[in-house]
Amino acid sequence: MSVYFPRNFRLLEELERGEKGIGDGTVSYGMDDGDDIYMRSWTGTIIGPHNTVHEGRIYQLKLFCDKDYPEKPPSVRFHSRVNMTCVNHETGVFDYVEIGSIALVEPKKFGLLANWQREYTMEDILTQLKKEMAAPHNRKLVQPPEGTYF
Amino acid sequence: MANSNLPRRIIKETQRLLSEPAPGISASPSEENMRYFNVMILGPSQSPYEGGVFKLELFLPEEYPMAPPKVRFLTKIYHPNIDKLGRICLDILKDKWSPALQIRTVLLSIQALLSAPNPDDPLSENIAKHWKTNETEAVETAKEWTRLYASGE
Repeated sequence: MSVYFPRNFRLLEELERGEKGIGDGTVSYGMDDGDDIYMRSWTGTIIGPHNTVHEGRIYQLKLFCDKDYPEKPPSVRFHSRVNMTCVNHETGVFDYVEIGSIALVEPKKFGLLANWQREYTMEDILTQLKKEMAAPHNRKLVQPPEGTYF
Repeated sequence: MANSNLPRRIIKETQRLLSEPAPGISASPSEENMRYFNVMILGPSQSPYEGGVFKLELFLPEEYPMAPPKVRFLTKIYHPNIDKLGRICLDILKDKWSPALQIRTVLLSIQALLSAPNPDDPLSENIAKHWKTNETEAVETAKEWTRLYASGE
């Protein structure tokens, strides 16, 4: 019999955990808009793993936790340019705003989002994406110039 | 959802909150989750928050009453011990928690905090600084925010 942990308090816990700093510091995240009482927009950072084309690169991501988080996963997109098999490059609309080119992490191609469970956290997403960078199908992909953004 | 096996203590506390509400405070559990409460606190008279209706949310974690409830303001408020996300700096919500305390005592303490802001133990550094350097002006801002954000609509 598990206790149902409501969205807002769950996000506050994630915020506090993010503020303390996670593990070796190669993934981190924080709130984008400190005034948003519903804590929807977040920025994540991944430092590319060793022995891959991503090594030493700093990738910025945007995570959006809607009202139905954590029942539903956040939408996740890369702000930094990146080539990965689970990232779709499209032109279009995101969160109702036309923003030109976006790099959406495609849930169907990224197991953690495809098989989302409410216990999963933004930390899990970032950690798993970092592992994904080191997977055989991603570690040697030709990358866009470093430090370029959408 | 997980409402069966709700501890007797929580049931008792809830019944009493509903049948004998403390003045200026209302707290009712959500239908889907009996551990999650919608709370309203009226701004105490003779405080900068007078006339305001403040919405809060409260959650009783699994460890309750061994661990304190989690509470935060949903209504924006200008107060040195409350931050932009509505988090509250109050000792009984942290290290001074005791299982002898209840939801009711927590909400009464929050109401008292509105009457007695404590800029020496701040959560919002800027607001606390404002309070210490120019209390009259800080109180005016708090009144203004109460009118703007806590008018109860």
